[in-house]
Amino acid sequence: MSKNFNEVLKQRELNEKKEEKVMSLDSTERIKVLSPGQLVFKRFINNKLAIVGSVILIVMFLFSFICPLIYPYSQTQIFYKYDDSIIDYAQAVERTDYVITYAEGAEELSYKVKNYLTLNINSLKSSGEKEMLINGADGNNYRLEANEDHVYTLYKNDMEKVASISSAVKYGEYKMLGKELTLEAGVEEVAGFDAALEKAIKAKEKEFSAGGKSFSLVQNKKVYTIMLAGEGISYEGKKLSTEFEDAFNANAEGGSFEFAGDTYRVAKEGEDSVAYKLGNETKVALLTNYVIDAVVSGTTLSNEFQNAAIEALIGNKTFSADGKNFTVKNENGELSIYDDDNSEMPYSIISTHVIRRYNGEDTIDIALKEKIREVVAKMDEEGELTSTFEWELAQVNSEGEYTYDADGNLIKQPRTFTVKNKNGSYVLSVAQVVYLIDTFAKPTAQHWVGTDGDGMDVLARMMYGGRVSLIFSFIVIFIETFLGIILGGVAGYFGGWVDNLIMRMVDVFYCIPSMPILIILGSLFDALKLKPYIRVGWLMIVLGVLGWAGVARMVRGQILSLREQEFMVATEAVGLRTKRRIFKHLIPNVMPQLIVTATSGLGGIIITESTLSYLGLGVKHPLATWGTMISSVSSAEAMKAYTYIWIPVGLLICLTVVAFNFVGDGLRDAFDPKMKR
Amino acid sequence: MAKFIARRLGLSLVIFFFVTFIIYVLEYSLPTSYVEKTAMELASRPGSQKSAEQWIQELNAQYGMDKGIVQGYFVWFGNSAKGNFGDSWSQTMPVTQLFQKCIWYSFVMGLIAFILEIIIAIPLGVLAARKQYSMTDYTVTVVSLIGISMPTFFMATIFKLIFSVKLGWFDLIGMQGRNYAILDRTGQLLDLANHLVLPILTLTVVSIGSLMRYTRTNMLEVLNADYVRTARAKGLPENKVISHHAFRNTLIPLVTILGGSLPGLFSGALITETLFGIRGIGYYSYNAMVGGDIPFTMFYLAFIAILTLLGNLISDILYAVVDPRVRVN
Repeated sequence: MSKNFNEVLKQRELNEKKEEKVMSLDSTERIKVLSPGQLVFKRFINNKLAIVGSVILIVMFLFSFICPLIYPYSQTQIFYKYDDSIIDYAQAVERTDYVITYAEGAEELSYKVKNYLTLNINSLKSSGEKEMLINGADGNNYRLEANEDHVYTLYKNDMEKVASISSAVKYGEYKMLGKELTLEAGVEEVAGFDAALEKAIKAKEKEFSAGGKSFSLVQNKKVYTIMLAGEGISYEGKKLSTEFEDAFNANAEGGSFEFAGDTYRVAKEGEDSVAYKLGNETKVALLTNYVIDAVVSGTTLSNEFQNAAIEALIGNKTFSADGKNFTVKNENGELSIYDDDNSEMPYSIISTHVIRRYNGEDTIDIALKEKIREVVAKMDEEGELTSTFEWELAQVNSEGEYTYDADGNLIKQPRTFTVKNKNGSYVLSVAQVVYLIDTFAKPTAQHWVGTDGDGMDVLARMMYGGRVSLIFSFIVIFIETFLGIILGGVAGYFGGWVDNLIMRMVDVFYCIPSMPILIILGSLFDALKLKPYIRVGWLMIVLGVLGWAGVARMVRGQILSLREQEFMVATEAVGLRTKRRIFKHLIPNVMPQLIVTATSGLGGIIITESTLSYLGLGVKHPLATWGTMISSVSSAEAMKAYTYIWIPVGLLICLTVVAFNFVGDGLRDAFDPKMKR
Repeated sequence: MAKFIARRLGLSLVIFFFVTFIIYVLEYSLPTSYVEKTAMELASRPGSQKSAEQWIQELNAQYGMDKGIVQGYFVWFGNSAKGNFGDSWSQTMPVTQLFQKCIWYSFVMGLIAFILEIIIAIPLGVLAARKQYSMTDYTVTVVSLIGISMPTFFMATIFKLIFSVKLGWFDLIGMQGRNYAILDRTGQLLDLANHLVLPILTLTVVSIGSLMRYTRTNMLEVLNADYVRTARAKGLPENKVISHHAFRNTLIPLVTILGGSLPGLFSGALITETLFGIRGIGYYSYNAMVGGDIPFTMFYLAFIAILTLLGNLISDILYAVVDPRVRVN
């Protein structure tokens, strides 16, 4: 048993020896040797802040460079949406000016007559009579005849003034106080007037006569106005018989009568009635405020058609124009014109309201027009100022074109039209569904951070903005470092007057105020209207050139101190070539410091770039940058309303810069543990 | 010492000469079309008393822009040395007068922010260094780094959102309240002070980080020094070690850097003043630069260059004065 146990132990020992090599205490294999690189790495990853910074940076790089590849939207893609937008859709205006259609062979009216025509028509309309006489300012006389409600005919008439009935004229005034009588200048004195006046006043009579003339009294408090009554009919030429006078008196307030085979027409001219003998008449023109609309939209109606239609309206209701025959029909007060070959649908409609779209296009279909007319007529009748009606309206896209569904039918939506009477013109507004740019959309599933003022996806612009900022700062740092190494290296290695010269250059560049210069250049680029990409290029070069001084000073300092160290003395003693000494021994030793400076510098450049862009002087639209994204919503209202845009963007800037600083610090501590604090 | 200062001064003069030359070259090489267009635009503004030709003639007389580049530079330098900077195009008043009008707002703002910065940053930096790797230290480090990393415009916008829009304590922009005209003198002063609060806050928050970091770094260096170890070894109380031995030595670089930034108080805050509409030198110079007002821009750039050089000079001298170990050679 015991022997057996020993055997087992021996066996186990043997096995163990096989697996494990014997290592003596002083074996060098016991020492784990890390290369300098591994050491730096180990120190770096032990630094919490550096790790945080690195993670942020990695996320930021993924966000800016990888995400755009899989993200469906680009930085300049504009999004649209269908939305209700209250628009002034159309306007219905009653036509108040009259279109003059001259009769064949008629001369054009003088502007003196034309200017008064509308006024004359309106006074004829309000008087309710069928015709009126016009003493034209051009010296001719005209007769205006109402044919229909909205159609008038103007005739030129060689009429002659025959007689007039003049009305009462003021004779004088009598004041009760002081019994003072003042007669109007130039009136004839009448015998026995004073006595008759006194008598009439005493008797409180309104009328009295003296010296064969009749007077009337109008009392106004203590003053009487004495009117001399009209003297009956006075003739222009020879006196006519009493029959004429009777007829004239009967029609003194206007009208016409026949006498001795002539037609006389009485017109009121001020207070007087004037009788005219009508003479030869010639038709001058047809006046109308009717509007004729074609039913099939897009059909243009010729002048010939329109004139013939109006003629027919007051005439025999049929006409032919453009080689076709038409009939005017009155259906329940609505006038429409039918093509004789097609009596199912009216060819055109006559009305007094002009209805047109606000955009100037005549794209309202006739059914809607009719509906509008109906509503407007009803409003007119009932004196309403606003009214609404329902109508199915076609949807339009961004180009203002109609949209069709899969079957090719117009997409329509029921809409409520609001009609408002604004000083006689009717304005129709409607919430039309239009295809418009989706600006400042709230965050949704489609746009996680919403859209900006140009309807572009904010998240996409954040990604591309990060890309611009990161690339920008890396290129600037590259330029800075490149110039810095060359000039600093030359200064440090060669020393002497070269060193002195370069260091004075460094002093000068340190002293140049870089932000003001960037602002000046930015506004200059604006004035020159440089393209966004060229602008960015210039900005990078300028920033790089302005920033090399720091790097150069650092490199020079490093090289100066390295030059004195033993290993450099050794390279000299060994007799290495200058080139090899610089590139194999000096530069690698400067590298750690350089990397630290560059990493910390990246953050500063991002800040400079975004500040410039914020001021509108850096990277320009349509290129996205974080700075411009913030400045686009920095007005008081926008700032409050769109915090979901500018706060995340600002945080992105902050995070990136913080991360670069963390990593820079971490690298510095890792490269040079003596510096670690 | 006098020799040192004289040498530094001489060197500064040479640098100033070159810096202004570079700035002059920049302004000189602005395209003529741009200059003419700007002059035309400015002359057509209401209140402008001169025509565009007059502006350009004056510019040529003042800046020698019609002469060769070197000759022109000397024309400008000569005029400027006599204190003759010409008239600002945008404000139609002599540049020096405009400068006197606006500089004090900038200075007051800068000074208050500077004092606040010192009061807040230095104690916090010292505290962070004393308790290295503690929660306080990390907080201070992170906060100062965030302060450094915040772009001024973002900080300003956040303050505007919080204090002006949400809380409504301050006006969003400008220097005068709505009823400024009817206030008495103290009221006007208080109104002005009220409008300066947010810009000063922004300036302070933005600048606090770097000073805090700098203090902490230097304090740590001092705390690791042998003489601090000696002080502790001989049994001094910790407070005494910190205040007498460590902090006084930390002050050396601090005084140097703060003294160097004193002239900077006059340089104005370009971004902050513009964002808050404070009519300081930063605001006017920004508008001059954007609007192509060459006389004021040139003056401002030269002024900034002088301030920078002065700052460097002061910190060099202070370094030698404060630290007796530094021997001037």
